[in-house]
Amino acid sequence: MRNETLIEALADALTPVRRALTPGQATLCWVMVAVPVLALAIGVMGPRPDLAALMLRPDFAVDEALAGLTAVVSAYAAFCAGRPDQPGWKLGLPVVVVLVWLLVLGRQCAVLSMSVQGAALRLHADWMCVPAIAITGLVPAIMMVVLLRRSPLFRTTHACLCGTMAAAAAAEVALRLFHGAGSFATLLVWQMGSVALFTMAGSAMGRLVVVRFRPRLASAGMLG
Amino acid sequence: MAEDEAEWAVWLAAAQRGDRQAYAALLAAALPWLRRRARGRWPQSSAADIEDIVQDTLLALHRSLDLYEPPRPVAPFLFGILKLRGADFRRQHRRHAVRQTNLDDVPVTSLALTTYPEQEAALDHATMRTAMQLLSPRDQEILDMLKLKELSLHEGAAQSGLSITALKVGTFRAIKRLRRAMGVDDAQ
Repeated sequence: MRNETLIEALADALTPVRRALTPGQATLCWVMVAVPVLALAIGVMGPRPDLAALMLRPDFAVDEALAGLTAVVSAYAAFCAGRPDQPGWKLGLPVVVVLVWLLVLGRQCAVLSMSVQGAALRLHADWMCVPAIAITGLVPAIMMVVLLRRSPLFRTTHACLCGTMAAAAAAEVALRLFHGAGSFATLLVWQMGSVALFTMAGSAMGRLVVVRFRPRLASAGMLG
Repeated sequence: MAEDEAEWAVWLAAAQRGDRQAYAALLAAALPWLRRRARGRWPQSSAADIEDIVQDTLLALHRSLDLYEPPRPVAPFLFGILKLRGADFRRQHRRHAVRQTNLDDVPVTSLALTTYPEQEAALDHATMRTAMQLLSPRDQEILDMLKLKELSLHEGAAQSGLSITALKVGTFRAIKRLRRAMGVDDAQ
């Protein structure tokens, strides 16, 4: 088909469209769903008994803030990825935040291991982290899929990678409020490992979920 | 270009509301611009490939109308779609090119034009299987045992309950009937 003919066909097939949410609005929408769900999960599981004391510790507060920041920035990057006019640096933002988060955790782990003569490096098997993060992150992940499916996606793999990282990081924020890690090494390996595991699994499967089952726009119907 | 930009933004916002005239005007104005930008970005691509990339871009724009936020500039929006669709197109093109052989470039004596013996054997086998369906169940059983499963006469006799002589005669007749079913003369 010649492009001039295509233009006529496209103009004939045009129907009014409702503007999609901007990346900022979509992120806000996602946060507004994720926060109450995570609060409910913490309420159901029961907060840690030492939570009040932990919140006053700067290292714990910084970890939680960085995990929360990773979740929000990753969600924003996921929504930006589907926009053709968004600059590339926004898509790379989650990498920076995750690196800072890992560096801070690693530094705390090193400092603590020196002060307690290696106790912080003792690794315990903590199988509870994997299903806990999966269950806690399920609703934020579903909400992410719902929001991503609303608009045609251009960088689907990137959007799915960032979207899953956002859900996993949000689950990690909640997990540390109701489930304590035995040591910093356990926290790094099991909790961060679970985040990495779900991010990779989500990016591998997410494209299928988001693209294959995406509702088609009415105006694009004739174009297949 | 700045004036065009302002006009394009008005047209695209109107297109979101369903204004077909504005949409057609926008697409007509954007078409040469998209071709120019595509040629500039992928100068080594053929004219046909550039047209395909532009066509993909127009289709993607149609599906992405809801993503435009007025009064943001339209050119970066369109160019973003062109870049992403063009990259996808070229990736697919490269992937397919690995599996394609341009016949004009291959000498007629090249081995690339011959079929592999395994392919011919597989075709012959499929033809024979189809022809076997036309034979009686007894002929099919004999051929299956002795020719396909390659059992010995003793094993075949034990399995079918026939004598070895009867099995030999049955095989000879079944092969004759199979050749007829495959359209092969006895002389061949």
